[in-house]
Amino acid sequence: MSSSLIPDESLARVGEVLAGPVTVTIDVREAQRYAYAVGDENPAYFDQAAAEAAGYRTLTVPPTFITHAIVPPRPAGEMRTDGLYRDGTGVRLEVSRMMFGGEEWDFLADVCAGDEITATTRLAALDQKEGSKGPFVRQVRETTYVNQDGTEVARSRQIGIAK
Amino acid sequence: MRTTNQITIQDVAVGDRLPVMPKAASEAQLFLYSAASFNPHRIHYDRAYAEFEGHADLLVHGPLQGSWLTQFLTDWAGPKGRLINVNWQNRASAYPNQQVEFHGTITAVDPSTGEVEIDVHEQTDDGQVLMPGTARVRLPLGEES
Repeated sequence: MSSSLIPDESLARVGEVLAGPVTVTIDVREAQRYAYAVGDENPAYFDQAAAEAAGYRTLTVPPTFITHAIVPPRPAGEMRTDGLYRDGTGVRLEVSRMMFGGEEWDFLADVCAGDEITATTRLAALDQKEGSKGPFVRQVRETTYVNQDGTEVARSRQIGIAK
Repeated sequence: MRTTNQITIQDVAVGDRLPVMPKAASEAQLFLYSAASFNPHRIHYDRAYAEFEGHADLLVHGPLQGSWLTQFLTDWAGPKGRLINVNWQNRASAYPNQQVEFHGTITAVDPSTGEVEIDVHEQTDDGQVLMPGTARVRLPLGEES
């Protein structure tokens, strides 16, 4: 049996809130900058009449934009050498590197410009598994997004495989 | 290319393939995506640093490929369609100035709810799969478009 890659203190954190709740207002210009950066010129993001014809209350936003809308402003002094910000929400693991990741999203209700979205991220799962090349850790961080009416608009799961 | 016709559940069948969507990002576009997603990670704009970390070139962001995938699905679904679920795994890196393609094949159709299940993937133009996944889209039922 291989030694554990997951310290007990990290296993005990499953279910814990890692970030949030944080509330942001969906900003139409940020969303449009994001859409253009993706190369997505969906008229429903830019044209009110097109958005309404598509059944949206007002301009809508790219589906996964909400995960970027909640990124907080951070001072430059909190950046690491690689450019990433020091992450206080990291879970300690006995691994060398991230192998690959993935995401799963459920989109439950429309998100529109001006909506107030509250996001909360939890450590949903932390498992050690045996692969063909040895043990690896699967970590799942789940974020729920709720709008100003208390309606859950989306759920995302970020999955990381590390060894 | 955006479709101007609204697809409905009447128009689709298991086995149908979505029109392939090509994508490529220049270095400037990668930078723009870093800015738009508030991400200062150097591997996306600092080539020397990316190579120092062992990468062959700058890396295309995983979430950018995710948004390309959602665009592939929302473009196909049309204005009245709704993307209700998507999942993907980033298996291999994508690089700037490299054409990638998004493919989808319909695996299930529910005429009563309008829901369609789709196997999707992103690949290089010579067939290497970079990002497999699945998705569910809800299409209009077709009585009123």
